[in-house]
Amino acid sequence: MKEVVSLVEAADTSLFGSKAVGLGQAERDGISVPPGVALSGDIVEAVAAGEEEEIERVVAAVRPLGGPLAVRSSAVDEDGADASFAGQHLTLLNVPSWEHITAALSEIWWSANSDSAITYRQRVGLFTRPSVGVVVQALLDPDSAGVMFTQNPVTGADERVIEASWGLGEAVVAGLVIPDNYRIASSGEVLERTPGLKKIAVRTLPQGGTVEEQIAPELRERLCLDDSQLAELNQLADRCDQVYGPARDIEWAIAGGALYLLQCRAITRAG
Amino acid sequence: MAGAPIEALQRVPLFADLDVDEVGQIARLFKERRFHAGDTVIQEGSGGAAFFVIDSGEATVSVGGSERATLKTGDYFGEIALIDEGTRTATITAASDLVCFGVTFWDFRPLVEHNGVIGWKLLQSLAKIYRDARQR
Repeated sequence: MKEVVSLVEAADTSLFGSKAVGLGQAERDGISVPPGVALSGDIVEAVAAGEEEEIERVVAAVRPLGGPLAVRSSAVDEDGADASFAGQHLTLLNVPSWEHITAALSEIWWSANSDSAITYRQRVGLFTRPSVGVVVQALLDPDSAGVMFTQNPVTGADERVIEASWGLGEAVVAGLVIPDNYRIASSGEVLERTPGLKKIAVRTLPQGGTVEEQIAPELRERLCLDDSQLAELNQLADRCDQVYGPARDIEWAIAGGALYLLQCRAITRAG
Repeated sequence: MAGAPIEALQRVPLFADLDVDEVGQIARLFKERRFHAGDTVIQEGSGGAAFFVIDSGEATVSVGGSERATLKTGDYFGEIALIDEGTRTATITAASDLVCFGVTFWDFRPLVEHNGVIGWKLLQSLAKIYRDARQR
């Protein structure tokens, strides 16, 4: 089925994939996520095939999001297994606008149908045709962003562990900075605030792509989260525990004074 | 426009015995794929998923790390993998920005399985390719 829906309506993993449905569920449960739409696997393929009518439908749905955009693949589950197959998790950050959406969707479709994706599927005995849904969201220009574990990933302790830096969370995820480190008890008590060394921030560019911006010296070791923001993050962790279950690895961003959930997945325990 | 240009596919020996309608059916299965200069299009030794025809740009063919050939507009590669699902016998790298049309075996196989006429003609083409190869 060739479907494009607002993210809050994405409820069928067989159409939209688990990433889209996960974000849709978060939104249905009152968690703020960047505005977006979910595209079914069939409509992604139709766009990649150049079907004009479907391209127009997708453009009409994406245009109101403005630009730039984050375009993420949302692999459709197969046999109930988590579809973590090679080449199926392509994410395109900072797609400049709806004018570039066709090329982005084509790239994502081909990543799911690449030689490496096929090699992996053959190795694990999967001979079915891949289907890749897509999530298209407005790309935030955050003041700060990072990751949060709703359970200590090293010790397993019942506490939130947060790593944060200025700008896009890529600075934290890609190890470009030494991020601030916070620990919060599930009660909300702040157990640790350790400033990092945040020499750069990753920012979006209007024409697409990102740039590393030098951070002013006085901000490099200044904590980028205050207590009210930490309290909001703790509340977000509570909500994610309820919606998704315990032991979650969350990507978040604070933009325009509001906290957003970007991604939520199960923690992979270290050691 | 959906699909690949028919005239591009008519040059491929595998499709030599198909008439224009039959080539048209196959052409509709193709999707455009773009590569930047330097991108690896296919990797020697990997499983093969798709067959490609070059619409614009150039690509180099390497085997065992040695450059063997340059492919240009109208050239094609990967067609045997569509049928035998074998591994790639060469690495193909985009020498410039490259626009190809590609078809995966998931799209190609059902068409052939449901159309015995196309299937028979492809078999005849393969037999000719095999005969020529044996005689060389």
